[in-house]
Amino acid sequence: MANTTILGMLAAASAIVPAVAAAQSPQPGPEPVIPAQVDRRDVRVPKIKANDVEIGAFAGLLSVQSFGTKPSAGLRLGYHVTEDYFIEGTYGRSKVSDQAYRRLGIPIFSSEEIPLTYYNLSIGVNLFPGEVFVGKDFAMTSAVYLVGGVGNVKFNNEGHTAFNFGIGIRVLPKDWLSVRFEFRDHMFSSDLLGKNELTHNFEVTLGLAAYF
Amino acid sequence: MRMGAGGHYAYRTNPTPLAGWCLFALFALVAGGAWAEEPNERVTVADPYLELHTGPGRGYPIFDIAQRGESVEILRRHTDWFKVRTARRKEGWVSRAQMEATLTEAGEKKSFRDVLFEDYLARRMEFGFSFGRLRHDPLLSAYAGYRLHPNFVGELTIAQSTGDFSTTSLYYVSLVSQPFPDSRWSPFFSLGAGRFTNAPKATLVTPSGSPAETHGGLANAAIGLRYYVSRQFFLRVEARRHVALINYNSADHYNELSAGAAFFF
Repeated sequence: MANTTILGMLAAASAIVPAVAAAQSPQPGPEPVIPAQVDRRDVRVPKIKANDVEIGAFAGLLSVQSFGTKPSAGLRLGYHVTEDYFIEGTYGRSKVSDQAYRRLGIPIFSSEEIPLTYYNLSIGVNLFPGEVFVGKDFAMTSAVYLVGGVGNVKFNNEGHTAFNFGIGIRVLPKDWLSVRFEFRDHMFSSDLLGKNELTHNFEVTLGLAAYF
Repeated sequence: MRMGAGGHYAYRTNPTPLAGWCLFALFALVAGGAWAEEPNERVTVADPYLELHTGPGRGYPIFDIAQRGESVEILRRHTDWFKVRTARRKEGWVSRAQMEATLTEAGEKKSFRDVLFEDYLARRMEFGFSFGRLRHDPLLSAYAGYRLHPNFVGELTIAQSTGDFSTTSLYYVSLVSQPFPDSRWSPFFSLGAGRFTNAPKATLVTPSGSPAETHGGLANAAIGLRYYVSRQFFLRVEARRHVALINYNSADHYNELSAGAAFFF
């Protein structure tokens, strides 16, 4: 109650003070000849849909040196920084098999087929822009790209730091849809066969992705 | 396709997390569709002409033009390229350099260039990854950062080091100070704190009774340098000293040296 009274008094005081000040000013200033009529320009910042993020899935075959070739599948999340460069994270799953060693009576893994997972972060460079023509009336933009990066390949409860390098072609049937065919080498050192050596593990994939 | 159909079926019988995700995806699609129905931006060509490329890149051929004074509709942006539709209903991609000279419909004085520049200044998120060495083992890290102030960035980092004997995972938050944020070569200092986990390799014979995994607190400090390659993209190198707090009376020191790339979005 006391608060509202004080607020009321303050409001009244603030109303009186300018009135007193106006009464005390000796002369009013010269009136403007042309009264300014400025309308505030309503500047609206344009909203433009951007689609620099690429989210997709892929499937293919992964050949792990000494441990067979098995189907692989995974997810990709990419960001296109400029028309030339993109950055991409990949997560993939596959299997490895020690069937060849089992046949000789020296099993390496706890069971014949065990899962393999990998992830990597890579940088890609779009090299040759072009178009793929389908029939007489339909053309799709395309690009050949190189991709390389680092990551981790895990199987048999053991992680390996892996470098990857690959080449692929990307075709865009729609502005928001891409189809990719890619060939990649996952390189890592493994001591599973008694000696630590660099292994080359090739993967060929077909992927489908959408731009957001 | 199959997942969507399965999710729909699951929703009708008993709600599962999958159904929830499918509903969320459906909602996102509907919301996205509703957003897409907003009218497209229109700009007026101020250059003698705009060159329309078949794709979003300088290598794609030019197949048509839009003349000065013509009003064009902006459909979408991909990196530094804009897809436009001309008054003659031709659709093609125009470079940022050419778009910058066009005028926005809202205010003739305000060129598209100002609008784009404001868009860049508003970008506060950054994401990057790097590769280096932690003591003698390879280290892969990824981070997300948010610019809190022109001179300060808050960062969240996840790193993994797979060595010959064990795998170490690090998670930490850090505050990065950039004394000269506007300079092309920009040095930075960072202080961080977080957790680490160390797991020995499964193939190694460990003495019985030794723990399978070691967890602990982590504190670190770093100095580094950023080099801005373009408006969105930069490279960085850093030297970081980690202190791993294993228990009350033992701490271990590790030095990290890494280099990587990052971008704003």
